[in-house]
Amino acid sequence: MQPLGKAASDDDRPLIERVRRGDQDAARILFERYFDRIYNYVYARLGRAEDAEDLAIDTMTRSLTRLDLFQDQGVAFSSWVYRIAHNATIDHYRRQGKATVVPLESATMPVSADPSELAVEQLSNEDLHEALRALTDEQQQVLILRFFQDLTAAQAAQIMGKSVGAVQALQHRALGSLERALHGRTTN
Amino acid sequence: MSEMERLERLAERLRAVDPVMPSPGAKIRGWNLVLAAVEQSATARKRTHPVRRLVLAAVAAAVLLVAGAVAASADSLPDSALYPLKGVVENVRGALAFSPSDKLAYHLDLARTRLTEAEAMIARHRLDLAGQALSGMNDQLNEAALVVQSEQQSDPALAASLENRLVQAIATHDQQLAGLQGQVTNPTAVAAITQARDRAAQALQTSSGKPSASPGNGKGPSNSPHPTPKH
Repeated sequence: MQPLGKAASDDDRPLIERVRRGDQDAARILFERYFDRIYNYVYARLGRAEDAEDLAIDTMTRSLTRLDLFQDQGVAFSSWVYRIAHNATIDHYRRQGKATVVPLESATMPVSADPSELAVEQLSNEDLHEALRALTDEQQQVLILRFFQDLTAAQAAQIMGKSVGAVQALQHRALGSLERALHGRTTN
Repeated sequence: MSEMERLERLAERLRAVDPVMPSPGAKIRGWNLVLAAVEQSATARKRTHPVRRLVLAAVAAAVLLVAGAVAASADSLPDSALYPLKGVVENVRGALAFSPSDKLAYHLDLARTRLTEAEAMIARHRLDLAGQALSGMNDQLNEAALVVQSEQQSDPALAASLENRLVQAIATHDQQLAGLQGQVTNPTAVAAITQARDRAAQALQTSSGKPSASPGNGKGPSNSPHPTPKH
């Protein structure tokens, strides 16, 4: 998965105009540019390949057929696509009737936990994914965007509608919560 | 190890997680579905735009047509196809006249219009339509007289002012009718004009609440009541 630099956002503009005029080749380029990323993002949130596939397709369909709703006023097309994916994920949770996740800061954690003993190198990818899904919605989002999607803090801030400072603080808290969640998993 | 160091290690571990990618089949299926939606969306846009343009053009044409017909009907004569529209516009005007003064002005204006139409119809030898126009003129003068009469009790000063305007209008009409009567030779036309002059005089009596005088003998201007405006 290629890093999503600023250049990609700039390159999107002419493609968007072409798609608006019905150019299918331009739509194909945008699809290729974002489908894998969106699939990866949704999978990290849901953990099920079938659901991730459906939501990624739904996100790309909405993105490329509702361009009349996209106004290029300071928000990059990439941020708009991620927001659609995020909303689709939230809708999916609602349809599935998933209970609201309790923020780990307020959850009961083992008092004797010693996070320094956690051997992160030995953690499996699946352990990390599952621990991540135990975090709050925003904490999951910031960690996925920053570390799985390799976006900058500024890009994550635009997608989440927050300031860069707020994203950095959220990221710090999210990593702490993830550490505690992982420690809880290894001690249980 | 400090908290910062621990979290940095965890962040590095997260960066090292292999990205989960869709299967090639999922990607092909995804593109086919997205392409179908994009094509459908483009088709819907193309289909909508000409329809919208057509509707807008039709609405604009209808507005222009109605506005043009209304404007043209203002000067139409009883033998014109647009004449019925003139009546509609006149009725709308009448509905918008609320004060006694406005109502009187409205009826006097229509009486003058009917007289003009009668002259035109006589000139075109359409005596049937001329008779209808003269009858319409008398109807409007009667309506004007009723407006004056309705104010006699409640506001005598206003009624006097209105009556003066009515008298002036009837005097003008009578002069015009007398001139017309002297020009025509057709007995039917002469009779119609004479009757119109007599009815106009009756309208004047109606306005003052006096009993109607007997109709004139139709011999000419000298037989009409010759209303004189009060100054």
